[in-house]
Amino acid sequence: MKAHFLWLFVASTLVLGAFGASAAEAPSGTWLGTWPYTAPGTHNLNSFATGGLNDNLGVVYRPLVELTPAYYMWATNEYMPVLAESWGFVDDSTAYEFTIKEGALWSNGDPITSADVVNTYAIGRILGWTQFNSVANVEAVDERTVRFTFQEGKQSLLAERLILKEHVVASANYGDLAAEALALFEAGKTKDDPEWAALTSKIQEFRPETLIASGPYTYSLADVGEAFMTLRWQPNSLYSDKVRFGELKIWSGETEVTTPLVLSGELAHSTNVYPPATIDSFVAAGIRLVTTPRGYGPALLFNFKVAPFDNKLVRQAMAHAINRDQSAFLTNGLGASGTVFMSGILDSLTPVLLNQEDIDALNKYEYDLDKAAALMEEAGFTRNASGKWVDSAGNTISVEYTFPADFADFSAAARDATAQLNDFGFDIKERALPWQEAANAIRNGQFQLSVWSWGSGAPFAFNNLNNPTRRWTAPSLAPEQPGTGLDLNAYSVNGQTLNDAIVNVNAGLDVEQHKARAGAISRLINEEVFFIPLNEMLSVEPLNEAKIGGAPADDDPIYQNPSNDHFLIWLILNGTFFPAS
Amino acid sequence: MSSLTSSAPKLKRDETASLLIRLRRLTRSYAFRIIAQGLITIWAVTTFTFFLIRLMPGNPVDTYIDALMQQRNLTLEEAQRAAAGIFEFDPDEPLVQQYVNFLSKLVRLDLGKSITKGGTPVLDIILRYLPWTLFCVGVALIISFALGVLIGLAMGYWRGGLLDNVMTGFASIISGIPDYILALLILIIFGVQLQWFRVGEVRGGVDPTIEVGFTLEYIGSVLRYAFLPVLIYVLASIGTWILAMKSSTISTLGEDYITVAQARGLSERRVLTSYVGRNAMLPLVTRLAISVGFVVSGSVIIEEMFQYPGLGRNLFVAIAQRDYTTMQGMFLVITSAVVFANILADLALGWLDPRVRLDKKVD
Repeated sequence: MKAHFLWLFVASTLVLGAFGASAAEAPSGTWLGTWPYTAPGTHNLNSFATGGLNDNLGVVYRPLVELTPAYYMWATNEYMPVLAESWGFVDDSTAYEFTIKEGALWSNGDPITSADVVNTYAIGRILGWTQFNSVANVEAVDERTVRFTFQEGKQSLLAERLILKEHVVASANYGDLAAEALALFEAGKTKDDPEWAALTSKIQEFRPETLIASGPYTYSLADVGEAFMTLRWQPNSLYSDKVRFGELKIWSGETEVTTPLVLSGELAHSTNVYPPATIDSFVAAGIRLVTTPRGYGPALLFNFKVAPFDNKLVRQAMAHAINRDQSAFLTNGLGASGTVFMSGILDSLTPVLLNQEDIDALNKYEYDLDKAAALMEEAGFTRNASGKWVDSAGNTISVEYTFPADFADFSAAARDATAQLNDFGFDIKERALPWQEAANAIRNGQFQLSVWSWGSGAPFAFNNLNNPTRRWTAPSLAPEQPGTGLDLNAYSVNGQTLNDAIVNVNAGLDVEQHKARAGAISRLINEEVFFIPLNEMLSVEPLNEAKIGGAPADDDPIYQNPSNDHFLIWLILNGTFFPAS
Repeated sequence: MSSLTSSAPKLKRDETASLLIRLRRLTRSYAFRIIAQGLITIWAVTTFTFFLIRLMPGNPVDTYIDALMQQRNLTLEEAQRAAAGIFEFDPDEPLVQQYVNFLSKLVRLDLGKSITKGGTPVLDIILRYLPWTLFCVGVALIISFALGVLIGLAMGYWRGGLLDNVMTGFASIISGIPDYILALLILIIFGVQLQWFRVGEVRGGVDPTIEVGFTLEYIGSVLRYAFLPVLIYVLASIGTWILAMKSSTISTLGEDYITVAQARGLSERRVLTSYVGRNAMLPLVTRLAISVGFVVSGSVIIEEMFQYPGLGRNLFVAIAQRDYTTMQGMFLVITSAVVFANILADLALGWLDPRVRLDKKVD
């Protein structure tokens, strides 16, 4: 009889436990967003493959399905816990550790453990992830703590960001592949071995039948339509009881496809880039606009192998001859601002990443046609009867300005710069190309002037100073690609070549050292004008408050986050956003 | 026995000679030459596009990294990390080697795997999307052709009348408006402004909540989602058919046999359908055959705007991503469709009008 009671008690406990677990009910309401996900047919649930989660959910929605250890707040310069409860460098800074929150579960009910992290990185190593430029080894310290041991002298805050922003995947899906990856690595194989290539293909061709999520939302292939896909709430996540949407409906498509949806009120929020006239239509329709940094802007790039752009004085003159506020307005209306500091680092980050004395030493290159003319004369140019600048042989500055026709903002910036420089006395002709061709023209040095991005969506001097100064020239390009032709080894900063100085700017963990190094490089970039940062762009995103409630006020610090640390990740996860009635 | 053995080789020689004669006759036949020309055209176009595609600036890896940085706001390092190891593509493999591999697979009907879609077979992609395009653009072509021929015939026959004046203006204007402008106008005016339909509910190929099957509900959904794209294709192409048919009708009306038919006292209806319409339509048949070939490629922009699951939309994505194998496969299908449509048109013309076959023989 006692045994019966005992069984009855156990069964009752299990039943109640089961009811308890499923007691959490999906919240009501639907989020209406957009992302250009891969269409059914080639859409897959692989976290590592093209057509998989990275493409389908992107930087905005993937963190709601596969959690990252932490979320970065740009305004306060700090990481907020998401999957991890603690993190940091170990005492001698030779390694980095983070600990997963207690009680963290996958959607299939398994606990999330350090083994999942180790397995994630085992596959990442096979695929050649950039984390392994600084990380030597990834190992489990205990059930919930994982350690990243750095290669000697490679510890950095940049590595920390890559670690804390990486999505962790479930061993239930990827454990077998990870075991093969670990075995290969332990056997001393490298990417040049055929086994490595074979495993890479195997990882790419792996098609998980179900998505095992750590975030509060998941989906299956049946939820993916041609026009929209639906992420559905799941009960096991750390954030399942916090989020307030039962499903996230994500419309497919880019700007031209989503515009009518925003106007008709069927889309509550969009990350697409809309032209100024469309933004005006949104305002007229009573749709709120939220402005965040985009983390980049258009820059005028020089081909240093083409005269007279090899002359610093001419480049400086051009910087004075372009009204950057006008450039900003014509590029993206109110969604851009003229560059102020000309430091090679985004204006929003310059005060954070540079010392004040370095900032004070920067030439702001104010719009001043007289100064520009004086610099041109100093460079040996005179104006001819038509008001055009000519060299001592009487040659005008007749060049082409190549720009990507399909990027409306960059096209507008390039065309405005062309018009302003022609008014000043240059003879520039526009040349519009498909964007892939425009990028390739820069790589191959087949341009005279061009436009591409400057700045970066990462809060480090390296990422900012790298783009475009180092990005479009050796050693970042293939040996046969001359790029801009800028010789980084011809310049010296604190006893290092410019190339080495940029590469090492964020080495070590001493932020003051980073600032000092960045300041020296910024001064050089400012003096030499390796490119002209025409303006800094903002992301103007429609947020329809008839559909979504809880959006913070415009001056909330969360809106200082650029798109790749998008505000909606944090605001959805923590239940700040809710469905409007 | 000896006679038997001596007659056997003779029999064999006769058979061989007869086979050669038949073979020669076959190779000289109109149908054979048309089909052979078609196959050579397909091979030539396929070869040309193979090299042309690879001459396009940017390889899939660079393009993917640029796209992630520019359109998804990733840093260079994040983009490189995302692109790391995901492309089954070796840009350093010699072009000739790639071509030989491509041809050797092609003869086995293997179009290879997508470079940018994690090894998905290209044939699977084509087979998935081709039926949607064939249905949507095919139906639109049939409707616009049928309506265009009827209206053009009536306009030509009763030229100068109200119908002629109104429809000439309409056809001239509508044929000058690109299909994507029509699509935008319809979406903005009827969807956003007048709210006759919800913009989101006309996107896609079918309601994803309905189970796939030959049910009334599923078929109804397919028809409902195809309605606007079909309407736009019809509007964008009907003007051309109307004007072409009107012109053809007018020139046919000047023929002697029409005057004779009218003089014989035949009814106007009979003259219109049996004498004018049938003959005026002949030049349009060739045009229709060529249009049928282009049905396969769909309409890139319309499919993109309505997120219609057709081949055109996927070709657009493949080109943007420099997915060489997928582009190659789709171009092959499109080329084959156009060539075979032309072959059919030539064969049909040869059958309808024997002079075509004789002329070719004389040539």
